Amino acid sequence: MGDGWKAGVAMLCVAAALLAMCGCGGGEKGEAQQSVAELVQEGWTKYRLNEFHDAIRAFEAARAATEEGSAEWAMATYGLGITWDLQRPGEDPKKATALFNEVLEKAPEADVVPWVKLALVRQKHLVPVGQEPDYPEVVRGFEEIMREYPGHLAAKEAFLYVEGIRLSDLTAPSSRVAESNLLEFIAHEDKEFVAPAWSLLTVAYVNLDEQAERLHAEEESFKHTETDPNDPSVEYAWAFWNLATIAEFDVGDFAKARKYYQALIDTYPNDLRVHGCKAALDRMDRIEAKLRAELADAAAAQAKAEQLAAGAAAGKAAAVPADGDGGDDLAVLPEAGEAAVAGQEVAQ
Amino acid sequence: MNKAWRVIKAVCGFVYTYFALLVVAGVFLWSAWKIASFRATQSPPGEIVIRLGHWQLEGGVRDGINEMAARYREQHPNVRIIQDAIPESTYGQWVSTQLMGGTAPDLLQVGGQLAGNIWLSYYNRYFEPLTRHVYAPNPYNQGTELEGVPLRQTYKDGMKTAYVAEMQEYMSVPLTLFGTRIFYNKTLLKKLTGLDEAPLDYREFLKVCDQIEQCTNDAGKPYIAIAGSAYHFAQWDPMMFSPVTYGCMRRADFNRDGFVGNDEMYIAFKTGMLDFTYPPLDRWLTMIREVTDHFQTGYTGLGRDEAVFLFAQQRAVFMTTGTWDAGSLVEQAKGQFEIGVMDFPLPAADDPVYGGVVEGRVYESPGVGFQFGVTRTSKHPEVALDFLLFLASQKGNEELNRCIGWIPSIKGAKIPELLQAFEPHLEGVYGNINFALGGNTSVSWGQQLDLYKVGQATKEQFADKFTKYYLANGLKDFLEQQKDWRRGIQRNDQYLAGIRGRAILADERAAAAEARGDADGAAAARREAESAWVRYRAITASRQIWGELNHARQLRTINATNQPNGGIGPYEYSPAILEKVKARLQDEMDGKPAPDDSSADELLEAVRSFTASAAAAQAAIARELEAAKSAPPADDPAGPAAEP
Repeated sequence: MGDGWKAGVAMLCVAAALLAMCGCGGGEKGEAQQSVAELVQEGWTKYRLNEFHDAIRAFEAARAATEEGSAEWAMATYGLGITWDLQRPGEDPKKATALFNEVLEKAPEADVVPWVKLALVRQKHLVPVGQEPDYPEVVRGFEEIMREYPGHLAAKEAFLYVEGIRLSDLTAPSSRVAESNLLEFIAHEDKEFVAPAWSLLTVAYVNLDEQAERLHAEEESFKHTETDPNDPSVEYAWAFWNLATIAEFDVGDFAKARKYYQALIDTYPNDLRVHGCKAALDRMDRIEAKLRAELADAAAAQAKAEQLAAGAAAGKAAAVPADGDGGDDLAVLPEAGEAAVAGQEVAQ
Repeated sequence: MNKAWRVIKAVCGFVYTYFALLVVAGVFLWSAWKIASFRATQSPPGEIVIRLGHWQLEGGVRDGINEMAARYREQHPNVRIIQDAIPESTYGQWVSTQLMGGTAPDLLQVGGQLAGNIWLSYYNRYFEPLTRHVYAPNPYNQGTELEGVPLRQTYKDGMKTAYVAEMQEYMSVPLTLFGTRIFYNKTLLKKLTGLDEAPLDYREFLKVCDQIEQCTNDAGKPYIAIAGSAYHFAQWDPMMFSPVTYGCMRRADFNRDGFVGNDEMYIAFKTGMLDFTYPPLDRWLTMIREVTDHFQTGYTGLGRDEAVFLFAQQRAVFMTTGTWDAGSLVEQAKGQFEIGVMDFPLPAADDPVYGGVVEGRVYESPGVGFQFGVTRTSKHPEVALDFLLFLASQKGNEELNRCIGWIPSIKGAKIPELLQAFEPHLEGVYGNINFALGGNTSVSWGQQLDLYKVGQATKEQFADKFTKYYLANGLKDFLEQQKDWRRGIQRNDQYLAGIRGRAILADERAAAAEARGDADGAAAARREAESAWVRYRAITASRQIWGELNHARQLRTINATNQPNGGIGPYEYSPAILEKVKARLQDEMDGKPAPDDSSADELLEAVRSFTASAAAAQAAIARELEAAKSAPPADDPAGPAAEP
């Protein structure tokens, strides 16, 4: 029994040794043979493939292989911090914070520093489930990035987060401030994040109930959309629908609404909103026909009333008619409530 | 003699001592030898073997793939296609072990039997992106109307289902279009009702169902009009019942995105904008009972197979199912009865009950499926892809789907006659009913609706009981569900950091190339960086900056106590807007110039322009690919195509 046990252990050891040899032989290029740039590249590739363990190994190897405080060291440390911060499961935000701070301390001039600062603020912004972020602190962090790195993409991203947070209280005063900031941003920026800035403006105008401005902002946001040509799911059916319904129901600009509904029908004939677009075109035709008829009746009644008034004036001198039959024919413009009901009827 | 005896004794002692280990070693060696010899017979020297794994065990699928493999072999004699057909129930585990073990087939059916996020991680790690290939023409379309057309544009759905938004890559090649219709026993229908075809008018259909139920079979048992089950109800509802609720959006689609969200439905009920007496909801309930009363008794507790059995045994005349079952049903009916396929019946426009509510047929998205990805462990990924392109060609796809009895996913490929009724309705309405606010509300919904479906509760009882529960518990359920609203944003941050890392590195490479005077290298790196930054900004804009805003707006909606917008529905005109329209019409009648709407024209022009830019970028990718293909002689791994 004793010999058997020993033999079994020996066989297992041999098998393990063989497996280890196979593993070594079939392994990837040794880390020592890779340059720092290759290691950082590999770290990011592994990160994108969700192979976080390998990403950490590559970033750590890159950090160890380069001079502390260099640009490559900063990039490797940033990658390592991002991995510890965002990997799921196994995240370690404290370790990530320490790594980000290490970059700020030892490589304050590195190109990656604005992104490191953004990552630190995002850590405070994206708190765990059940907690609320310290919004004043978060906004201060974003504003610091905006001040320190004006024109940098990280600063523009920070700006959008700040305005998004500001608008989320959905009040008129905040919206007015956001409107002013966003318009200033748009005035100085011609490409990066212009479309989302216009898009945030639409929220401000909704909060302020300024519908014509909202429609304009929606149009501009659409016009400045940045798209990835690879993406077949990028289509603008919803954008056309959104513009058309705002034009129809919030602005009352039927001409524009028709153009946008028609653009959706023509561009996306297989979209599920096509039925709704055709119904909308029909609805607008019907309500216009109805209103035109009312206006024509009103005009006719007005003319008749004027005629009667003129006749009455003339009759004063001659004779007063036995019965004045014009009054009953006067078209009465719908009262507010009636108009809403008319709209509902048409809508249904 | 003694020596020999000692040897025998030693051997026996050894066997006795190590018997268990020897048995294990023996079994291992035997199985290794069996596998090796089996593989050797399947892949003789000089042959390329492409393995294909899928979960479609329905009749005809394996034969269809074998048939297409044989045709491919006619053109590429050195390629052998072998399929691994795995049952649905174990496909998820099988595919996981194969991928993780590095032994996955060259081609794998993807997109089902596992959660979406698991497939996403598998795509990331184990599959080849196919993006570049979807912009190139399919070489097997030569001589057809699709010759020279990029692969993506040869698809009925523009290949949308193959695109993985999170990766911004096309990861698979879909081969079939699925749809749902009503199958019926033509022979039995004729025998019981004298009709050659099933009626498409709703009232006529119900009459026929009544007529069928009056008849009995040879055993004296009454016929069942519709074979149903819980599984089948889930097909009837979205195709026939729920579309009746389309009109709910006019009262409850407060954000006007075209759909009634669960929060919008709740607030509409809470503020009295909607209740179950609202015609679309009332008629939906009515229709459920009118139709399901013709299902067999107790259908809510039955599964798919029981209903199929009733249909195959000719005890029921109608049954709804999808194209995936068509081949099997035809096979089962062979020699016994004729199968017909019909669209879902629709009430007439002047129907006394549904006339004002039913606006048209259900909208069906031409979504395609039966899609395959190429695994990274494939020894011959280019051959595997080539076989997929063969199956995705107009002729190949038509033939494959003809063999299986499914609908081709490629434009212009002919649909088998039986399935012509499956041609999707590309214009129509859809359901706008969404009471799933959270766990408890959903459970209550299911329980109360089941009681109504089987006749244990009247419409009024259902409406009263559920509405009370919904209004009392809905908000709590919703808030519970919303607790982790930031989790999605964290996932996006994880994904975006990867794109950002790639973009920063590409910027660095471009700078380095410029520094050493490598203009071409710098330009290539700049292009890569620009592409990555565009993606980064597009995703940041669409998913991240709206976090707080969307959450705040959703909470405001759900907590509202007054009717939104003063009780005027989202698709109804306010008095102010009507006045404005009237004023404009008055101006028009007075001959005043129309208001300036040139900004709309400018916008439409801008959209045309960036759509054209995207198309140009795609064409450039296709050209690069073609150039790479026609570059110096590379061995054709699939071997020369055989002379026709």
